[in-house]
Amino acid sequence: MKNSEVDTIFSKEDAAILEEVMNIAFGKASSDLARVIDIQIMLNAPQVEILKTEELMRWIKQDTESYKTLSMIEQNFWGKYAGTAILAFPSAASKKLISLFEDEDEPFEADNPLLERETLLEVGNILIGACVSKVAELLDDDQVSFSPPRLIPQVVVDNLSGANISPKFDDPDKMAILMKTIFHLQEKDVKGFLFMIASDDSMKWLKTALQNFMAKF
Amino acid sequence: MPKKLLIVDDSPVSRAIIKKCLPKDHPFELFEAGDGKEGLEKFKEIRPDGTLLDLTMPVMDGFEALEEMKKVDSNAVIIVLTADIQQKAYEKVMALGAGMVIPKPPSAEALADGLSKMGLL
Repeated sequence: MKNSEVDTIFSKEDAAILEEVMNIAFGKASSDLARVIDIQIMLNAPQVEILKTEELMRWIKQDTESYKTLSMIEQNFWGKYAGTAILAFPSAASKKLISLFEDEDEPFEADNPLLERETLLEVGNILIGACVSKVAELLDDDQVSFSPPRLIPQVVVDNLSGANISPKFDDPDKMAILMKTIFHLQEKDVKGFLFMIASDDSMKWLKTALQNFMAKF
Repeated sequence: MPKKLLIVDDSPVSRAIIKKCLPKDHPFELFEAGDGKEGLEKFKEIRPDGTLLDLTMPVMDGFEALEEMKKVDSNAVIIVLTADIQQKAYEKVMALGAGMVIPKPPSAEALADGLSKMGLL
């Protein structure tokens, strides 16, 4: 789908509705998650950008440039709503995240790279799954399926490019809708970035679903 | 005289949904603000009978705006409208003085019920 087609298909009003849908969906997701991991998750107001896929990494870089390296968890999802979600944490966060799953009586050993990797994948799986599912559910009661999460460790922010994440983000002809939010796991003092990139195949469906959402009120 | 109702939400879409859900048989004088800071300024200026306040907003979030509004008027009627209904967030806004929390997106029934319970209808 080319730039001009997307401009015609996806208006500023659609983007504003999508931001509100994300706001509601992420709020509901974070309240569900808080029940599971018993900590408060604070979310920033979500933002939506419509851009060329080759510009995606520049946008992600802009948001994360205060960090040297990131741990990224990527997961693809598909249903009527389809795309890719990327969760990015500053690399130092993984040790703090481990304590989310720790039993007070049996603390994990201090330095365990395998455990850090599994923790990041699990946190990614939980957060991405909750947020993507809620958006799909709010829009059309759509059910999405997920690929297993993939960890991309120690991504140097200065070198961030589509090539070191996924070749699909390097296509100059494709457009994407980037949805992003910053969240804080308050008690753990951990900040992360969630990016959802809707595939161009789902844009027409997304537009109709957004209009249907507004028509309910 | 219609009651003054201040809607503080960064999303124009959310404000439109809220306005559509307000009871049609009960006109309000409506005021709107797009973030917590603007909301606080309008609150000081107009002294609304009721405020519908979002939590997740840029510039100043709803928690801080609520706290500041309560410092201005401890009797202010403030209803928090949010999708973020985590128990800790709920406890925090109630401790800060919110009258009640209504989950987003609101239904016309939930909003009318909330406004009625807060003495705004």
